[in-house]
Amino acid sequence: MAKVKMKRTGFVLDMTPLVDIAFLLLTFFMFTAKFKSEAESEQKFQIKRPKASADTSKLPDKNLAIIKIAIDSVNTSDTSYYFEMTNEKDRQIVFSTAVGIDDAQRSKMQIKATLANLNTLVHDARTVNPNTKFAIDADKRIRFKWVNDCMEVMRKNLATAFNLVTDKNKECKFHQITQEFYYRI
Amino acid sequence: MAGGGSLGEGREKAKRGKPSKRKKKKRVGFHLDMTPLVDIAFLLLTFFMFTTTMTQPQIMNMSIPPENEEVKVIDKELYTLRIRGDGKIFYNIATDEPQIMELKNLKKMSFEENLKLKNRLIVVLKIDDNASYEVVIKVLDELNLAEADLTTAMKKNNLMRDRRFTIAPMTEKDLEEIKSL
Repeated sequence: MAKVKMKRTGFVLDMTPLVDIAFLLLTFFMFTAKFKSEAESEQKFQIKRPKASADTSKLPDKNLAIIKIAIDSVNTSDTSYYFEMTNEKDRQIVFSTAVGIDDAQRSKMQIKATLANLNTLVHDARTVNPNTKFAIDADKRIRFKWVNDCMEVMRKNLATAFNLVTDKNKECKFHQITQEFYYRI
Repeated sequence: MAGGGSLGEGREKAKRGKPSKRKKKKRVGFHLDMTPLVDIAFLLLTFFMFTTTMTQPQIMNMSIPPENEEVKVIDKELYTLRIRGDGKIFYNIATDEPQIMELKNLKKMSFEENLKLKNRLIVVLKIDDNASYEVVIKVLDELNLAEADLTTAMKKNNLMRDRRFTIAPMTEKDLEEIKSL
């Protein structure tokens, strides 16, 4: 094949499509990026969530109060409750007025709570904003007693509908939970 | 710096016939060196890609009955599931002897039992304080999966699914019954 050889001393690559795609992806990731909340960056523990099959329901963003039951990463025998609220206004009222809480913790984003503290916190959160939704975010390694005690506190304060935070299990099929009714015996 | 501007300038200079000292470049189209731009773009892109967490936590709906609310039940309609401290699951229907059950059979069992009694069966979950939370979630998940199948199965017969489920406290008597199994 007789091809005319071009002598190339330097060569220019047209980067325009590359830049197009790069910026497209960049804007996508910039807009979808969700950063850790202040409370989350403050916490010293990491919760290993239990896995459940995929579900369409997602954690609500607004007026959410999360009760975390976590194992301290440094001292592994130390399990504790942590209380956190997403609504900034409500959080300030609840955290500053709740009875029986260590003063050093009042300014924090997350309160390390005992069961008695939790009772007042759940009660106050419901009084300040009746629309507050509750979620229990517990580590999968803890004993059920912790969750049971927590549910008992919720029951006392009439917060009878709440969410359990789980992680997606990828192997499972898609399904939807229908309305659930619970009866006490 | 603009391509158009410098092009016009060059023409004007050529008209006047003044030889410029600068090296004259004939620019038909112009090239902008985009390498630094691409560098930065990709740097930011990788940063955002690694910091974003795509997997959002999901939730499992739970509702518990308020205090002081008693519901009368018939023994025959009870389907009791007990989770022992070591994570083993036991089941019994009405007042039968408890039997051990594998987690993988749970979905099928509760589906069949529920279908037999339609909406009247009450699933009672009794969990030992020492059972791990992970097992509890797994059991709840299986029950929820069975629920989805039940809803579709009952819809075929034009029936509305009405779920009856509760978490009851594990008593000494309950523990005694499953102790030796």
